Amino acid sequence: MSTGFRFNAMHFMPYVYLPENHKEYKTTWVDFPNKFYDPVKGHELYQSYFEQLVLADRLGFDAIVLNEHHNTVYGMMATPNVVAAALIPQVQRARICVWGVPPNFMLPNRLAEEYAILDVMSKGRLEIAFPLGTGMEYWSNPVNPATAREKFRESLKIMLQAWTADGPTKHFGKFYTYRFLNPWPRPYQKPHPPCYIVGAGSPETIEFAAELGFGYSSVFVPQQVALQLNQKLRERAAHYGHTLRPDQLPLLNFVYVAESDEQAEREYIIHLQHFFEDFARSSPQWLAPPGYLSTEQLKIRAAGADKMHGGFDFKAISSAFFIAVGTPEKVANQIGEWTARMSTNHINSVIHVADMPHWKAVKNMTLFAEEVIPRLRRG
Amino acid sequence: MSAMSKFTREELIVDGVKTVVHSAGTGEPLVLFHGAGTLDGFDFAETWARRFRVIVPYHPGFGESGDDPSFTDIHDYVMHYLELFDILKIDTLRLMGLSMGGYLAARFASEHGHRVEKLVLIAPYGLDVPEYPALDIIATPGEQVVPMLVSNFDALKPRLPEKPDIDFIAARYREATTFARLFWEHPIDPKFPRYLHRVKMPALIVWGDEDKIIPVEHAQAWRKWIPNAEVMIVKGAGHIVHRDKPEVADAIRKFLA
Repeated sequence: MSTGFRFNAMHFMPYVYLPENHKEYKTTWVDFPNKFYDPVKGHELYQSYFEQLVLADRLGFDAIVLNEHHNTVYGMMATPNVVAAALIPQVQRARICVWGVPPNFMLPNRLAEEYAILDVMSKGRLEIAFPLGTGMEYWSNPVNPATAREKFRESLKIMLQAWTADGPTKHFGKFYTYRFLNPWPRPYQKPHPPCYIVGAGSPETIEFAAELGFGYSSVFVPQQVALQLNQKLRERAAHYGHTLRPDQLPLLNFVYVAESDEQAEREYIIHLQHFFEDFARSSPQWLAPPGYLSTEQLKIRAAGADKMHGGFDFKAISSAFFIAVGTPEKVANQIGEWTARMSTNHINSVIHVADMPHWKAVKNMTLFAEEVIPRLRRG
Repeated sequence: MSAMSKFTREELIVDGVKTVVHSAGTGEPLVLFHGAGTLDGFDFAETWARRFRVIVPYHPGFGESGDDPSFTDIHDYVMHYLELFDILKIDTLRLMGLSMGGYLAARFASEHGHRVEKLVLIAPYGLDVPEYPALDIIATPGEQVVPMLVSNFDALKPRLPEKPDIDFIAARYREATTFARLFWEHPIDPKFPRYLHRVKMPALIVWGDEDKIIPVEHAQAWRKWIPNAEVMIVKGAGHIVHRDKPEVADAIRKFLA
């Protein structure tokens, strides 16, 4: 990969038709009734979301990014590999990032196989991130959160073995037994597609990424924390003999570009507010099922959550997180500043949030691709 | 803990796990297995110390004892107590368990019946009674579970922090973690009742008729599997029977004598 900037278009594919009375529900995750899902509307949403991601490819984004969540309006990609498979023939140039399937919810050989299929189908354009999965996913899947981290490690070991060692091999572990680990096909890219770990910064996960020499992307952590995590990861990776390249530290951010700062804010903030207040509306219980966090981490996060209370404040939230809204010049400057501070060149931008209409997503991506990317590439 | 003032605290290492044991009194050993949360304390057990050597261990992963993440099955606790009883030089004993501790006590008694002289199960966990399902305490937010533990919430209030307290929440989270290791995937072991007939010693099943965690109807289900057992239904009591009706301790003492 070149040392120049790399730009991703990330999409959550939300189900946007929340019922009128949705505020009566404490959260829109886990137990938010699925009677509110209308498949006819779901079909229309997939049509426009696919169109947006195909457009991202044509506009020159380097990659498109998908992810997985369950039991929620937040995203309609409970099985993102299915979505990736549908996109591959339409997305002809950009890399396809499945960031990603929590391995704990799949048999490891099967996940290794699915990713290998996508990699072969796309002629080596797949990139993978391994999330532990949010707390919400553990309420939604029959997997014990109290042993999740241990299982996660074993799953990754099996997948890497499946990809890199000539089969058949064996694996006798705590969670899985393989007498003939010998998956067909094998990945197109050697030794395997680029791998990252995504997370909210648990020390255990950082350590694991460092050990494997994988990239790491923190999600939904404040800027200061993200910076510390990147530094920590570099240090720990060096300890294991790995030197991380800038592109291994994707920077998750939210962008919206328009003709003026004022217009951008007018067009965007309502959707961003809807995203934080309603689509990301979880609960302390959902976020931390028993054993998902160490008690130390629970205390740290509970203290952090207290600070987040209060209404949506765009100024506060856009300076706490990586959110750039405005003219191409403003957004480009903002991203330039972040990348310098974070020592990365990998920009992972969420280009659609909440109930943003199709035209805004198209406008946002088009202005970003035509006005922001060239500014940053020129330097 | 001032409520435990008559108890002597002892810190032991049992197969590598820090195990805190409180004991009081002399006489034949009476061991009490606590439930999945230790917020209630054990002061009610003092009343038995006049007659017995009362021993209240904290299970690994609960209260003052240390953690052992390798405990993933209730049977790991049975083995833990075999080790602990060796260290404490306990051969035969009277055994009492509350809720999850009742499940553990019944397990122990079904496997090592010759060592258990009398068994008391207070609102024990462990049976699947589809018509009267137990509350899924894993899926119920802690702040909702706590008031459901008793019939009269005032009886429990002194045990709770007045304001939200991060250390209290973290202590409950840690105990919920231990509980999840045992029961997240398999809340019920369908094979458990199959071996309950091996509980042949005198047994007493105590239940509050206002139990909101495990409905009182479970008492009859237990009796079906342990036909010798006496059943004592305590009117006006919730899940923590003795917290609502402290006088139940006397009735239990009579049974144990």
